[in-house]
Amino acid sequence: MNILWDFLDFRHVALELLMAFAPLVLFFAYMQHRSLRLPWTYVRRLMKGIVLSYMGLVFFLQGVTQGFLPAGTEIGHIIGGAPWRWALVPLGFFFGLAATAAEPAVRVLAIEMEKASGGSVSQKPVLVTLSLGVGVFVALAMFKLLAGISILWFVVPGYLLALIMTRFSTPSFISAAFDAGGVATGPMTVTFVMAIALGAAGALEGRDAVADGFGLIALVALAPILSVMTLGILYSRKRSGR
Amino acid sequence: MNKEVVHLLREVALGILPISLVVCLLQLTLLHMPWEVFARFALGALFVGCGLFFFLLGVRTGLLPMGEMIGAELPKSGSVKYLVLMSFVLGTAITVAEPDVRVLAHQIDFVSAGLVSRNILIFVVALSVGICVGGAVLRIVLGVPIVKVLVAGYAVILVLSFVTPESFLPIAYDAGGVTTGPVTVPFIIALGLGTVGVLRGRNSFSDGFGLVGLASIGPVIGVMILGMIYG
Repeated sequence: MNILWDFLDFRHVALELLMAFAPLVLFFAYMQHRSLRLPWTYVRRLMKGIVLSYMGLVFFLQGVTQGFLPAGTEIGHIIGGAPWRWALVPLGFFFGLAATAAEPAVRVLAIEMEKASGGSVSQKPVLVTLSLGVGVFVALAMFKLLAGISILWFVVPGYLLALIMTRFSTPSFISAAFDAGGVATGPMTVTFVMAIALGAAGALEGRDAVADGFGLIALVALAPILSVMTLGILYSRKRSGR
Repeated sequence: MNKEVVHLLREVALGILPISLVVCLLQLTLLHMPWEVFARFALGALFVGCGLFFFLLGVRTGLLPMGEMIGAELPKSGSVKYLVLMSFVLGTAITVAEPDVRVLAHQIDFVSAGLVSRNILIFVVALSVGICVGGAVLRIVLGVPIVKVLVAGYAVILVLSFVTPESFLPIAYDAGGVTTGPVTVPFIIALGLGTVGVLRGRNSFSDGFGLVGLASIGPVIGVMILGMIYG
């Protein structure tokens, strides 16, 4: 019963999010007053949407802080202390794959890339490459955590490679690639998979929950950048070869 | 129920169910966590699912059209100073409301026991995004190629990586990934397309993209600097 009570006590998140939404609403009110001057019926409809978003976020954040965060770290703690802790690597691969394949923003990106390439890159290969790419990078993040390697060893070569690849890519593919960086970090990755990593880092001896646990989102953000540019280079090769 | 609602329900379920099912399976076979913790997970999944559904529904009827209108309206004023300043304010305001940023700040609070206060972190990230959005709009106005700015930004990040305290490094990189979420992206893309649309000289459609990529550079640098101050 205690748990249910924890979940139903909305006071903290409700207040926190009220403060979070205030600047945006004020900004809109200023714009409306200064130059937009939209009809009131329309403003009322927009406000209904904002209230809906606010209520949704209250539930979302409550679920994360009372549910996913404590439960995820506990799961990570159990796995990190178990003899089969290396199962985190394949599990991470699966989690990354599942989270990306289901992410609506990824599908939007696939459509954008089809346009950027003038139709030569169809949506299916983009979806497959991105999902596999994110899976591999979540697995890498788990490996980094278990082996205790500094994030520098992944991020510096990763971004260097990305910078070198810009030399061989067209501007539209480069824009799409760097825009895509944040696309793959869907709600499940940031809230739940991240919590598992944090818990596992806390359970392993000699690991620091902060220095070793974080970094997962960074790697997940790197995956689409590299995979989109690789696709771009491959397709422009193929086209110029013909 | 109309078609859009059903479609949204399906999207949210697809996002949450596969991973939840695997956790249930693990619980029965390997994990054996206390049932209390499992109840927390299950309730969490329910709350996150419902929350996402209402949030996304609200984004479509409220935040998305609002972002498009503000994005199209700001460049019309004709004053570059006003446009850049307001883009900065807008970038900051939307990041404060971005759920992913908030979740990351909560997580840092949860595991680090006071490494950096939640509000300071959110404030720094929001300010950095604001600066980047303002800068990105200025870039469109001045016509600097996006690739140059991206390369320069990431070069700065790479150099700073070697002088940032170890404990802040992963957080800094993560901060770059979480800024591009469901609230920020529609506003930023609309602002980019709006600015390009008003400046008739640069009619290329793709000029409006790349803003999101630029916006995620700022927080990385911002949190790195924060780490150097704290370290």
